[in-house]
Amino acid sequence: MEVQFTDEIEQLKLGAGQTFHGEGILAITKALLQSGVAYIGGYQGAPVSHLLDVMVQARPYVDTLGVHVEPCSNEASAAAMLGASIHYPLRGAVTWKSIVGTNVAADALSNLASPGVIGGALIVVGEDYGEGASVIQERTHAYAAKSTLLLLDPRPELGNMVKLVEHAFAMSEASNMPAILELRIRACHVRGSFVCQDNVAPRVSTQHLIAEPAGFDYMRLAHPPVTFRHEKLKTLQRIPAAQRYITEHGLNEHIDGSRHSDVGLIVQGGLYNALQRALQQLGLADAFGGSELSQLVLNVTYPLVPAEVTAFCVGKRAVLVVEEGNPEYIEKDIGQALRRAEVQTPLHGKDLLPPAGEYTVEVIAQGLIQLAERYLPQVDLSAARAWLAGNGERRQAVAQAMGALPARPPGFCVGCPERPVFSALKLAQQAVGPVHIAADIGCHALATFEPFSSGHSILGYGMSLASRAGVSPMMQRRSLAIMGDGGFWHNGLLTGVQAALFNGDDAVLIIMKNGYTSATGTQDILNTPDDEAKAEAEAHANLHQSLAHKNQSIEDTLKGMGAQWLRVVHTYEVDAMRRVVQDALTSDFNGLKVIIAEGECQLERQRRIKPWMAGRLKRGERVERVKYGVDEDVCTGDHACIRLSGCPTLTLKDNPDPLKVDPVATVIDGCVGCGLCGANAQAATLCPSFYRAEVVRFPNWGERLIAQARATVTGWLRPAGG
Amino acid sequence: MNRAQPITVLVGALGGEGGGVLAEWLYDTAVHSGHSAQATSIPGVAQRTGATTYYIEVFPLPNSALGGRRPVFSLNAVPGAIDLLVSSELLETVRQIGNGFASADRTLVVSSSSRALTVVEKMHLGDGRLDEAALLTTVQRHAQACEVLDMAALARASGTVISAVLLGAIAASGRLPFARAAFEDAIRRSGKGVEASLRGFAAAFDAVVMRRAGQAQAEAPIETATRALPPELRKLFPAATHEIIALGHARVVDYQDDRYAAWYVQRLASVLEAERAADPSGAKGWAITREAARWLALWMAFDDIVRVAALKLRASRTERVRREVAAREDEIVKLFDHFKPGAPELAALLPAGLAQRLLAWDERRRAAGRAPWAMPLKIGTHTVLGTLALRCVAGLKGQRRRGSRFAVEQALIEHWLAALQRATREHWALGHEVAQCGRLIKGYGSTNERGKASLLHLIDHLAAPRVGADALHRAEAIHAAREAALGDDGGRALDQALAAHGAPPRPLRAQPIRWFKRRPGAETGAAGKP
Repeated sequence: MEVQFTDEIEQLKLGAGQTFHGEGILAITKALLQSGVAYIGGYQGAPVSHLLDVMVQARPYVDTLGVHVEPCSNEASAAAMLGASIHYPLRGAVTWKSIVGTNVAADALSNLASPGVIGGALIVVGEDYGEGASVIQERTHAYAAKSTLLLLDPRPELGNMVKLVEHAFAMSEASNMPAILELRIRACHVRGSFVCQDNVAPRVSTQHLIAEPAGFDYMRLAHPPVTFRHEKLKTLQRIPAAQRYITEHGLNEHIDGSRHSDVGLIVQGGLYNALQRALQQLGLADAFGGSELSQLVLNVTYPLVPAEVTAFCVGKRAVLVVEEGNPEYIEKDIGQALRRAEVQTPLHGKDLLPPAGEYTVEVIAQGLIQLAERYLPQVDLSAARAWLAGNGERRQAVAQAMGALPARPPGFCVGCPERPVFSALKLAQQAVGPVHIAADIGCHALATFEPFSSGHSILGYGMSLASRAGVSPMMQRRSLAIMGDGGFWHNGLLTGVQAALFNGDDAVLIIMKNGYTSATGTQDILNTPDDEAKAEAEAHANLHQSLAHKNQSIEDTLKGMGAQWLRVVHTYEVDAMRRVVQDALTSDFNGLKVIIAEGECQLERQRRIKPWMAGRLKRGERVERVKYGVDEDVCTGDHACIRLSGCPTLTLKDNPDPLKVDPVATVIDGCVGCGLCGANAQAATLCPSFYRAEVVRFPNWGERLIAQARATVTGWLRPAGG
Repeated sequence: MNRAQPITVLVGALGGEGGGVLAEWLYDTAVHSGHSAQATSIPGVAQRTGATTYYIEVFPLPNSALGGRRPVFSLNAVPGAIDLLVSSELLETVRQIGNGFASADRTLVVSSSSRALTVVEKMHLGDGRLDEAALLTTVQRHAQACEVLDMAALARASGTVISAVLLGAIAASGRLPFARAAFEDAIRRSGKGVEASLRGFAAAFDAVVMRRAGQAQAEAPIETATRALPPELRKLFPAATHEIIALGHARVVDYQDDRYAAWYVQRLASVLEAERAADPSGAKGWAITREAARWLALWMAFDDIVRVAALKLRASRTERVRREVAAREDEIVKLFDHFKPGAPELAALLPAGLAQRLLAWDERRRAAGRAPWAMPLKIGTHTVLGTLALRCVAGLKGQRRRGSRFAVEQALIEHWLAALQRATREHWALGHEVAQCGRLIKGYGSTNERGKASLLHLIDHLAAPRVGADALHRAEAIHAAREAALGDDGGRALDQALAAHGAPPRPLRAQPIRWFKRRPGAETGAAGKP
């Protein structure tokens, strides 16, 4: 795993009265333990990876509480895990990245929500929306509404978030509805504090096992005929029970306006802070949450409590709903509630605020200005207008002066084993012509950016091979699918490989076997090299090596499933990779051709190598490091090497030759000596400017002797001068 | 209503630079100083070298002065409401300014002057780098005040990462109400790499303090060694051209010999003569002759394996490599070079007849679907044998003159020079554009071939007189096409530029493709054998 959570684990152990300082997502994790959770699962993904990662590392501690922790193979298996709470009084929590994870989990979620739960079931989703998001912009809200799940969108203050986790479990038990707690990216990563409670060891746990399974009860199955009854229960019993809980415990917060209390704002809890700052920018709020307008802060966004909403709206001259994303489910629910109750308060929302996109402070402020123009003519908006106009002018001025700035999307790490595969693909296509490339989710999706600009489609995690099933029968040339080992285990094995083998598809699949789900923080998977392999490498002073080949579970699986054409290539051997790709694209074999591109994640390798090297250096033991470089007087300044690599440490510097004007390539600090520069120079016949330097610290005396002799003789052989 | 507002700090950084640690330090400093604070970020996959931001708010009054109230902090940075914009990279500073965040009435900008080039800038065939002066001007224009210093260099010198340097600069900026020791204590509490972080912190802190005190050292002007032009040549050419001709002349002597250099002078003299006809007074500063002097020297000293071997052998190179890989005195450096000579490289040194036979053989290989012949070599330049091998190749300098490529290059050079003189005599501006086309010629192998093909096409189709295109129009067309040719190596932009100026497209080059075509209905998986 990429991050070591030693300090965070200590924070999880804090007792009543002590203050937790840290990230939002870790506060949620602590809240799970305070709520007496019995089992925790999930699938990693930004922005909620840390929840599961810290729990996995904290296993020795949570074992003492009797809490079971399990990283699931995908979100569907995580959602299915919550099935434990259908029959048993167990509080369970799972986590994943939404919307994509919720999509994968959808089948199990429906089948979970239909019978309902008796132990509190909580899904912590990272709402990957707005700036910093990496997935499709859709709302989790739709799932809550259609499957009848509770949806909490807490005001992002750590104390409130923790409190709502505890309520979510209790409300889930009171209503039999599983609950979703959605956290936006910035709320997951917000650093703040709250005062802790003691952790609660669950009554039923891995320490206190269930003696007998529950008796047979058809009502707990999601199977006809009881599914018809479940549907009625949802509307007749469960939603009303949840609404009662919300009201009795005051989960939604009412703030009376100090000056214009007859104008109201209804806001999703997660947007509360942005709304307060927007009000401040208009001079309508202070720094401590004091507001001139009335507010209803929805910490629970599904179900709404119609009575609460109508009571808030009655007597107001206008109400604005601040609801992010599309469609505007909450606004529609409120409109319906008001109509039914015949409350005539004018209702605004997406008419004053934009229909799509993140609701930043600036966006909300623009909506508030329109609201104030209509209903609060006495408010002086000149300062706010000047502020917005200033922003616009500055943006325009910079755009005019600089033009469009070059983007800086994420890229492959220095020394990444996946980069060479795309170098080889670029070269192979020069020989056999361009092919349709079905891309996938994972680090390899970074090849969609420059310099590779590779990939025709992304249909979901592990979906690449499946997504070319309709393309390849229509195409003169073969098409290519790329998948990571993370995607392979998450989904690709079944949706892609199985289907292609079963149908005898003429397809080419490249599996990036780097040993981890690297894009989410290098979590372990089935083909992760095990600890014995790592210990053995260390014993042989061989930690530089990739250990990906030490675990053959992907190869064994493919062979077991009947894949006949299987090649394993070390990714840094660009020329070999190019040849294998060309072979696969032109082979007479018409079935599924799988190329396993093997090379261990460089992040994991560096995590091993760095402390090991530091230890050797400290002890004065021989250490060899490799660095590549460019001879500045040989470099052509054409940058073909960069167009085949994009490595952050391969960059440009001014040409030291006063005759030449174009900058030359240079390798800067940080090069890990992966060898791609040399391999590319050979495979693509680039200019001969690259050199490989092997630097030996603390050489032994024999080595030193040879080096001196060489220096002397080669000195004689060099021409004078120069 | 209370008008106290949080102090807002926006940090722009690249993934992997430790921005998260910086945010944690700032939060920790504030909390330990008894203030309320909040930090947040949007790391996502930006941790993999992409641009990202961190946002911190700190309440200016200590908690003890708030009477039990807790500030509500924003999770989003607000454009035009930032007190301190901090950034580890100059383009990222400008990106945040372009997003509207900094404002001249409020924001102190603390930025590194260092650049980490984006891939798009690096990919360009010529120079795609942004203009640093323009970036700096933008920063200065939209800041209330700014502190710009090379934080990457400070981090390197201190043996730490840039986050510690950023913290030092933030502490010194004075925008946060905490003493230097409060920031340093936060670093100490974090417990990892403390000494190096404190060094980086101090370096930046002192740099900012010194700048403010006006003690910043003026950078020493870089001395450029100028070579003297031999006296007999000084008389031949106008003074404005001396510097560049001296460089070019020396390059050609070094590349081959004095005889070859004399040819260089002779060729250049004819260009000067043409320019004298177009611009007798030298009002344009003899720019055509200067451009020609540069590109002619580089073309005449075309890169081949003899040249490469000579460059790799130089004694000064060993020192440069040791410097580049930061090798200590007591460390051994083993140096390997990658070569992959193919048939064209060998043919270049053979007489025309033999060369043609060798190339024809290679062509037949390719036609048969095999890869062109090449010999991948990894030579240990630090070894005796490796050095000996390079010495042998470098010794083929005399053979170069007799080789087939030498003749080909000279013919092409003459072709270009003839076009250049013709164009210059027709119109100075046209000649100037044709002279600059020499920039297209560079490199080895396919890069060199592509450049030559582009140059020939430009001068044959855009420079030559055409009906309905006067000299100025053609100069403009050449300018556009040249820029396009440097834009992408696929030549798509060049083709568009050619079409836009009414020139024929470049001839299609035969490219051997290993042909594979599926036939309709041939979808039978289990049929073939692996």
